[in-house]
Amino acid sequence: MTNRRESRCPGSGSVSLPDGTGTVPLRAEAAELAFGFGDLAVEREGIVGVLGYRDGAMPEHFGELLDVALAEAARRCLPRAGYRLVEAGRAEGRFDALTVGGTVFATQKIVAGALGRAERAAVFACTIGPALEEWAREQMAHDPALGFIADAVGSAVAEALADRLHDRIELEMARRGWRITNRYSPGYCGWSVAEQHALFALLPAEFCGITLGESALMHPVKSVSGIIGVGAAVKHSDYLCDVCTVRDCTYRRYHERRGTNGGGGAHR
Amino acid sequence: MNELVAKITVCIERGKVNLASPYPKDLKGQEGADELAKQAIAGGVGPEVILASCNEGMQRIGAKFGRGEAFVPELLMAAKAMNAVMAHLKPFFAAGTVKPKGKFVLGTVAGDLHDIGKNLVSMVVAGNGWEVLDLGIDVKPAKFLDAIRNNPGCVVGLSALLTTTMGNMAATVKEIKTQFPSTVVIVGGAPLSAEAAAQMGADGYAPDPQGAAAFLTKYVAAV
Repeated sequence: MTNRRESRCPGSGSVSLPDGTGTVPLRAEAAELAFGFGDLAVEREGIVGVLGYRDGAMPEHFGELLDVALAEAARRCLPRAGYRLVEAGRAEGRFDALTVGGTVFATQKIVAGALGRAERAAVFACTIGPALEEWAREQMAHDPALGFIADAVGSAVAEALADRLHDRIELEMARRGWRITNRYSPGYCGWSVAEQHALFALLPAEFCGITLGESALMHPVKSVSGIIGVGAAVKHSDYLCDVCTVRDCTYRRYHERRGTNGGGGAHR
Repeated sequence: MNELVAKITVCIERGKVNLASPYPKDLKGQEGADELAKQAIAGGVGPEVILASCNEGMQRIGAKFGRGEAFVPELLMAAKAMNAVMAHLKPFFAAGTVKPKGKFVLGTVAGDLHDIGKNLVSMVVAGNGWEVLDLGIDVKPAKFLDAIRNNPGCVVGLSALLTTTMGNMAATVKEIKTQFPSTVVIVGGAPLSAEAAAQMGADGYAPDPQGAAAFLTKYVAAV
């Protein structure tokens, strides 16, 4: 892991561990963590599955295009990721909303249920930067298959970055004796994407270089944001999609193709 | 000449763009849609016949896609081969020798940046002989309304990938139907179903690009 961008905001502080093994940052202020492309462990076979192919059935030509796109990703992606730890819990008298960092979010029941017993939430965001998506868009004009595959690679890299950030948050919370939940993002599990604005209001302006458009969509596009519940009584679910009633969700299909499930992959 | 036209259909179906294209592997070193279309035109084959061969090729790959025997990369290669043919037919469209079947206004609804599905629909519908006006992604209702106003008689296609942008899609359909009740609207995208499409007041639901083309073919037959 590189230390290229490791930094904490002044005043974020840290706590000494009772066993004297070191300190754990509080992250009460948003902090960016350091990740390089090599840290992300992007799974080529997972992308092949997302493209629709199973058991080596992908035509050789598309395998070559995938390798080209992965090489471009390694050259062009600039991972940036971070989070802020805030107080969180179920919104008073509501089963479909959470209070996170003092703001009430109408997350709907699945997310509110998962974080209902959380004491805190890690509000996170990460991005791989705009360069790969720009390159993919250029390819679409003359080689749409390459453009499409590069776009799929970008999505996989962004999810891999979110996975690594999730791992890091889990590690930091575990050292304080806390557990964490799956991650949840506006736009999924019935949580309106419009609440992205309120979510980013809990983070510094242009955190990790991400900005929001009028429709609450992130730029760069290959970015992931959301919340992770933290506390002694929360749990991680291995079968996230099993508790959701939306059958035609994009994420459900993503995991079906990738051969994972909603609890083990993108929403870890 | 019939053999030439049949070969064009195969090149579209298999995504064989031109002689230089290494894809598909078993057709490497052979002429593709580009060269064959050029030869067909030079040999006096009517542009409408060549266009029909494009439709047939796209229908074949679309059917494979629908059955899960082909995936988006194959569909995109087919669309690229089709575009190579369309480049040769462009002068006939410009001269009015071949008339488009109609105008199709297409866009991904507000709040949604996903464009792959929309682009596939655009390519397949264009290959089916329609003039496509692609409004892009994150398209607000007002932009659709302007396009309808400026293109009377057009059919509108709305795309969405996010479950949570279905609300924006429903609002867009409602706006269109309020201001232009006779405008035909079809919707498509991963989170949708025929039932959801009907509930939001759309005239049709396209589960895939071929479904959009099939709907438009039925629409043309009905008017």
